[in-house]
Amino acid sequence: MSAQRTAIKVDGSTLLVRIFGYGFIGAFALACFLPFMLVVGTSFTSESSIARHGFNFWPRVFSTFAYKIVFENPDLIIGSYWVTIGITVVGTAVGLFIVAMTGYALQRPDFHYRNRISFFIYFTTLFSGGLVPFYLLVNQYLALKDNYLAVLLPGLLSPFLIIMMKSFVRSIPHAITESAKIDGAGDFTIFLRLILPMTTPALATIGLFIAIGYWNEWYNAMLFLSPDMKYRTLQLFLYGVVTSADFIKNSSAASNVDLRDLPLESMKMATAVVATGPVILLYPLVQRFFIQGITVGAVKG
Amino acid sequence: MIKVKKLGAIVPALTLAAGLAACSGGNGNGKEASPGADGNNAGATTTASASASQAAGAADTSKFVKISYVILGDKPKNGQFDAALAEINKLMKQKINAELEWKWVEWADWQTKYNLLLASGDPVDLITIGTDWLDTWGNAQRGAFMNLDDLLPKYAPQTWESIPQEDWAESKYKGKIVLIPENAYTQWVNHGFFYRGDWAKEAGITEPVKDWDGIEKYLQYIKDNKKNVIPWDATAGVSTFGGWVNSYTQELELPISTGWLPVFTTKSVDDPYTVVSPIFDEDTMLNYATKMKSWADKGFWREDVLNYKGDTRTLLKGGLTGLDQHHTQTFGTLRVDMDREQPGSELQMYPFARTNGNLLELSITHGGTSLGAHSKNPERALMAYDLIRNDEQIYRLLNYGIEGVQYEIKDGKRVLPAGYDPKKNEFYSDFWGGRNDKLEIPSSTVWDQLPTTLYAEYDKIKHPYPYGQFVFDKTPVDAELTAISQVTGEMGPSIAFGKAGDPAKAVEAFKSKLKAAGYDKVKAELQKQLDAYKQQMQG
Amino acid sequence: MPAPKTKRRSSLRTLLANRTLLLMCLPAIAFFLIFSYLPMPGLYLAFIQYNYTAGIFKSPFVWWDNFRFLVMTGDLWRLTFNTIAYNVMFILLGNALQITVAIFLNELRSKWFKKVSQSLMFLPYFISFVLIGLIAYNILSYDYGLLNGFLKMIGADPVKTYSNPHLWPFIIVITYLWQSTGYGSIVYFAAVMGLDSEIVEAAEIDGANAIQRIRYIILPWLKPTFIILLLFSLGGVLRGNFGLFYNLVGANNSSLYATTDIIETYVFRSLMTNFNFSMGSAVSLYQSVFGFFVVLSANWLVKRVSPDNSLF
Repeated sequence: MSAQRTAIKVDGSTLLVRIFGYGFIGAFALACFLPFMLVVGTSFTSESSIARHGFNFWPRVFSTFAYKIVFENPDLIIGSYWVTIGITVVGTAVGLFIVAMTGYALQRPDFHYRNRISFFIYFTTLFSGGLVPFYLLVNQYLALKDNYLAVLLPGLLSPFLIIMMKSFVRSIPHAITESAKIDGAGDFTIFLRLILPMTTPALATIGLFIAIGYWNEWYNAMLFLSPDMKYRTLQLFLYGVVTSADFIKNSSAASNVDLRDLPLESMKMATAVVATGPVILLYPLVQRFFIQGITVGAVKG
Repeated sequence: MIKVKKLGAIVPALTLAAGLAACSGGNGNGKEASPGADGNNAGATTTASASASQAAGAADTSKFVKISYVILGDKPKNGQFDAALAEINKLMKQKINAELEWKWVEWADWQTKYNLLLASGDPVDLITIGTDWLDTWGNAQRGAFMNLDDLLPKYAPQTWESIPQEDWAESKYKGKIVLIPENAYTQWVNHGFFYRGDWAKEAGITEPVKDWDGIEKYLQYIKDNKKNVIPWDATAGVSTFGGWVNSYTQELELPISTGWLPVFTTKSVDDPYTVVSPIFDEDTMLNYATKMKSWADKGFWREDVLNYKGDTRTLLKGGLTGLDQHHTQTFGTLRVDMDREQPGSELQMYPFARTNGNLLELSITHGGTSLGAHSKNPERALMAYDLIRNDEQIYRLLNYGIEGVQYEIKDGKRVLPAGYDPKKNEFYSDFWGGRNDKLEIPSSTVWDQLPTTLYAEYDKIKHPYPYGQFVFDKTPVDAELTAISQVTGEMGPSIAFGKAGDPAKAVEAFKSKLKAAGYDKVKAELQKQLDAYKQQMQG
Repeated sequence: MPAPKTKRRSSLRTLLANRTLLLMCLPAIAFFLIFSYLPMPGLYLAFIQYNYTAGIFKSPFVWWDNFRFLVMTGDLWRLTFNTIAYNVMFILLGNALQITVAIFLNELRSKWFKKVSQSLMFLPYFISFVLIGLIAYNILSYDYGLLNGFLKMIGADPVKTYSNPHLWPFIIVITYLWQSTGYGSIVYFAAVMGLDSEIVEAAEIDGANAIQRIRYIILPWLKPTFIILLLFSLGGVLRGNFGLFYNLVGANNSSLYATTDIIETYVFRSLMTNFNFSMGSAVSLYQSVFGFFVVLSANWLVKRVSPDNSLF
């Protein structure tokens, strides 16, 4: 009886929070979606209509010309898709494992070197050697030119994610580690068998960050994967479509250049759609792990 | 005796190796790849070793090598270039036992990539250069290129002999040849406005436009009579101030980049050694700013022109705008495009030089080729270049593609073959490093009246380029030049498109910022070096 | 004499006792050693006149010459201020919004709604800045923009967005929030998920309502995450988001620079035609050293207030 009354009492403010919540999240999601609709709409609009009327949610003059050009060489775009997917999957798997392992070790209060190593890692976010030495390193000392590893390796770890992981794992009571140690388990076993399964939301988050990093990566690809390679990463492929004309146009000096094959507005939009589309499917996939995480948490208690 | 000699050769080799080992321990010094690159004078050492191995005189081609050529542009995706290159490489293999690799530096972030290639000590062989747009003298100063004096006569004899000594003189940095100029190719890259002949006629303009007032009249007519047409749908990427200076003064542009618009010029063809400034001297800048303000107020371009990123040329082809601005070469192809897209448009060009007859010939080092300081096969690279530039078969394959696929020759003109599909068969190589009139075939995609109209007009008024051998050493004023570039980029566009408020005030503010950025110091340094140049040229 | 010996022995013992954990950190240590520390001596580039043939360590040393272009026109102060002001806004508003989104998401019950809205909020993160710039222009442009079209439709006066510098801090901050909130809120969302459901339930049984629950349980729970994110962002407080500013404001519209110019855009204009790696390094060094001191002081502060949350 009394429990029921409490539930009713809670409902009042919960309801308020939920109404606000639905309104706020709904409005924000819509705000994120509308410009994207603008992109989709424009990608299906004929070029001359864009020149006259600007962008629109709904194409005034419908045209799939932009997609025809983007998919002119379907082979190339599909190839770059596979390359990007491959790099993303491998990189995320390896990166996630190392990040989790390091994060766990660094949060162990009984780990003597944890502060020193944390600082060693954090310091790299403040100072970096710059482009020339980095290029030399990858290109000459590691000899990774025209090698997918040149994109894969530098994206594996980031100090941010390691420290993030460290703070996530910290929420698991140290007592669990200690009791396992008493049972005779080694540090690595504890991490692998005990800690990893308990941190699914954290792993999902970190994994998502790493994956998105790889998916959006184009700069290292631009530096180290030359046009001699048939398939380069997806974003680099698309980036070329979107920017090359802007670069030429804005450089007063390149008077040699004869402008051919100009990327058109609708084409830029079409490339965005092609690059973003699959991601819409990605998130619900990841979200499953968040929900799993809760249940595991409940079980563990 | 022999022993001693051998030892003498081994010792430096060992120290070199030791030095390299010390360097490569992660300190970011990337020169281990190149045997001849130690010390400051790469050219000298490399040449020495080259001539040692070539004591007999004939080139040793027993070892098969790959030669890279760095060019700027986006690699065509239809595979046609690779097909042509394969043909070229058959010939290359047969003639000099080498293979040519075409290294594209794509437009996305090209400044970074181009300079990174040189700065990182990548073993590039041949590389496209341009003294007026690729900062070639700056790169030469930073030791990016190999010295070619001894190599050229031996390994690129045809090129060496076909280029006259006075042109080689324009290819030297500190007395050493560092580049091969594109001196044998006729092109005009002087800028001007492109306007539609049909609309001009409607506007009552029957004579070729000869000044900016004529253009104004034309634009006003479009504004008043053409609905849905923006008279000049300009983007703010490119400055027209240089054009104005060209039209309304006798001043000459110097081969020194000050960013968005030229800050320093020289007095005239008769006195090309006195530094002046179109911004500070006379009222050139003020007049320009006033004119552009009035054009902006008349609504010749968009209100948001400074942020507009559209493509004026496409709009012109679509009949949505009436004016475009670029150089004569562009006009040559655009005219043909326009005759197709907008029949009867009779596109015309008003070259800025027409007003005052102030026209210089193009610098022969606008295009050209250099050899990277860290090249591993300088000899073979030059041999390959000699073929690219002088071998008819290779030249045509590289510049036009495969005969019968990309082009056919009809009445001495290149035409597109029947069944040519622009998507499938389109071809370009972006080779701007030594095109050669002797091997060129006129094309049907370039306006055939160009030679009789504009070229003929230019030939009457042109003056020889006076700064071919002038290399500005910017080390003493590097910081000032950088700051000036920033200022021109910051304030130039808004003045040039009439968006800076009162022109007089804007120009004053611009001047005072330039002063703060070190205008006087750069001008003094420039004058000092031009005085020295004058002595060199006259004495 | 015996003292150092025991010391060495004890440090060896510590090493042995920690060997597994140390080994677990080894891949990461190797990674940062190679990819971050090895190129770091390249910062020396900032002090030399780089000669490509001679190489970095044989090029002439020029002291502070490469920094000069930054201070000459007296703009450095304005740029530093703009860059920091924007970053502070980004950090504060960004985190506030991300926390709000995470908490609301946690309160909602409709799984379908959650999935769809989170996916949608992710979208902006995948649109390149080049496109964001184009979209913004198409919304804000004076003659043809959607905004002015709408204003004209309802009979209001059109606005000249691109010549009004005062509007731009809002536009830039809003665009930033629009783009990064969905992505950034994931961290907080995961943190909320990690919260032990028993604690929440216990609080509910004790009669805490939703607002109290948020106020007294969830927000304090998120504090460490916030502090870490804060310390990380502070290190880059002098590094601007070039893509955002360059594509939104453009490279040519100086009438907006008073409120929109940041260090990155300024340097871009300076070096576009006079490409110079040494000057670029000089700027980067300035930003790093500045960030370093900001972080050191912030970390010191955190250590005093809540020692558990400091970074090092």
